[in-house]
Amino acid sequence: MDVRNNRRDLTGTSVITANRLLDGRIVWLTGTGWSETVSHARIIDNADVEATIKQIRATPDARRVIGIYGVQLDPTAAGVTPLTVRERIRAFGPSVHPEFAPVETSDVH
Amino acid sequence: MSTNTATLPVGRYAYDQIDRTFLSQRVAQFREQVNRRIAGHLTEDEFKPLRLMNGLYLQLHAYMLRVAIPYGMLGADQMRALAHIARTYDRDYGHFTTRQNMQFNWIRLEDTPDILERLADVDMHAIQTSGNCIRNVTCDEFAGAAADELLDPRIHAEILRQWSTLHPEFAFLPRKFKIAISGSPQDRVAARFHDIGLVARPGPQGRPVFDVFVGGGLGRTPIIGVLLRDNLPEEDLVAYLEAIVRVYNAYGRRDNMYKARIKILVQALGVETFREKVDAEFALMNRADYRLEPDIVAGIRARFGIPALDAPADAADTLAAGRKADPAFDRWVRTNTHPHRHPGFTSVVISIKPDGGIPGDVTADQMDVIADLADGWSFGEIRVTHMQNVVLGHVRKDRLHELWRRLVAAGLGTPNIGLVGDIIACPGLDYCSLANARSIPIAQKLSARFASPELQERIGRLHINISGCINACGHHHAGHIGILGVDKRGEEFFQLTLGGSAGNDVAIGQIIGPALPEDETVDAIARLIDAYLVLRTEGEQFIDTYRRLGAASFKDAVYASA
Ligand code: HEM
Ligand code: SF4
Repeated sequence: MDVRNNRRDLTGTSVITANRLLDGRIVWLTGTGWSETVSHARIIDNADVEATIKQIRATPDARRVIGIYGVQLDPTAAGVTPLTVRERIRAFGPSVHPEFAPVETSDVH
Repeated sequence: MSTNTATLPVGRYAYDQIDRTFLSQRVAQFREQVNRRIAGHLTEDEFKPLRLMNGLYLQLHAYMLRVAIPYGMLGADQMRALAHIARTYDRDYGHFTTRQNMQFNWIRLEDTPDILERLADVDMHAIQTSGNCIRNVTCDEFAGAAADELLDPRIHAEILRQWSTLHPEFAFLPRKFKIAISGSPQDRVAARFHDIGLVARPGPQGRPVFDVFVGGGLGRTPIIGVLLRDNLPEEDLVAYLEAIVRVYNAYGRRDNMYKARIKILVQALGVETFREKVDAEFALMNRADYRLEPDIVAGIRARFGIPALDAPADAADTLAAGRKADPAFDRWVRTNTHPHRHPGFTSVVISIKPDGGIPGDVTADQMDVIADLADGWSFGEIRVTHMQNVVLGHVRKDRLHELWRRLVAAGLGTPNIGLVGDIIACPGLDYCSLANARSIPIAQKLSARFASPELQERIGRLHINISGCINACGHHHAGHIGILGVDKRGEEFFQLTLGGSAGNDVAIGQIIGPALPEDETVDAIARLIDAYLVLRTEGEQFIDTYRRLGAASFKDAVYASA
């Protein structure tokens, strides 16, 4: 995997992301599954990210996604906001088509 | 099979039943592979090469499908199929790229076999749009139409397409391989920035000969291709190219992806040694097996539909009167048309770069409009350019005014070809998983800033090229002003290069100084252009002023503290 995706501070928090196999859409790990909405994501201490990813990969559910990795959050931002531009674009949609932003829904797959 | 010339599609090669059977078998094969992946019988590692062989990437937000447009030629029916795909399976958009392909950014894996089937219905596919093979052969967007053309390059582009498609020896080259071909003395295909660039012209007895450039490319290591040999006879074209690719396949590096392109091999061996190896391979080959006899070429040529060019004698006068009466139309004719070999016709460039818009993006509705206009005005024939625009090749001069009105109504009448607004930009960080920075917003801000057509014409010919990372898909090295996105601790920065060119005056742009933060980049470029307007002498274009003065004067403008 791209090293960029693993860039993480020792302290701080992260969320875990992947692409859904069937349609390629970006998903975020919640307490009970995967959601298309980053604000539903489960927030994890950076120290626990690797172990959590390992756990997820071991579940049968992991077959439904590809490319699982952790995304560092911006501690100064309001709400769940990734630190890097790249991950903010993944979370909130292409900046050039605001209408393509993920829709805030309550369903978790 | 006999071909009925009356029904051949104009400008492109007519498939026969063998081609169609082949495509539908490939779709069925991929459908099976997708089913096995979804059922869990294939892992992602096993499946990835299979989907890439069908042009399916996983990008930032979803799967991306890259559809091949052989040498940029499309029929109206094919464009309508692309519109249908955009509408049904994507978000109403498609994107034209610098490789004369179309990309869809929001594709579902589940839908892909159906999409490929829909493409196959109109003789299209996504084979070899990815992977370490010979990719889509690109060619002059004015092929078969340009007044300055010596030889229609599409016939040989098609021969090379047939030679390279599923070539058993070249399915796993060290790296991807790109070929471009031009039949005009004006290089409109960036021949010297390709793995192989071919420039064709008539030779003895009117049979074509080729100048063969090799080892050009952009990316991490930009290199201008070298002339490997000139006056290659037509009959040896396939044999000689096969010899080149064999040498590359044998000696190209496979241990380091960044050193795997043929450009690195040519540099490492030196041109002389590389040429010796190619000549040795060529000498060993059974050339008779590869010989392109005139009747083979004639057979391929016979499967291209030819437009019946017939215009009233006063067509040019009608156009001249229309231009006089309508200054906006006159401006558009000045910027967006290209001289045709027939005096009653012209080639039209439809700008896919509206002011403040996304270069190369077209909506499904616009695709349908383009298809309708092609049917009404250009024999149902459409070309996609490596500058991310669209060309209608053969438009009667007396019917141009009406065409322009239709284009304006569809938001496709922007008069900016070759000017500041005609920016080439890769998808960048808004879509591309390899990107360091966004390309599209910079392009949008620049094109909105220079939206005034008067200002654009005053500035003159100026090519701005933007890439979101060093892979250089936006050809930034070849731009008069090149903009390269770089990543500094997760933030976007932009490095400027000046003086690049992809034409006959080929050059690689020079970096002028440290990268700029995103919010300063557009202002810095505006200052640079202002500086040029002050420094230019009568009749100079940007590139002339830059070559006369060098980077220093521009550097001051770029880094002037605000
Ligand atoms: C969709 C995501 C894309 C990916 C992942 C991608 C990947 C790459 C990579 C890895 C390279 C460097 C290859 C090398 O030099 O060895 C490259 C180069 C290039 N790509 Fe893309 N690309 C993408 C989109 C595009 C688009 C949209 C265009 C056209 C606008 C394009 C056209 C090119 C061109 C012209 C080069 C320069 C190659 C050369 O001359 O050496 N690519 N791309
Ligand atoms: S230049 Fe980089 S960012 Fe742009 S499309 Fe190519 S790989 Fe992606």
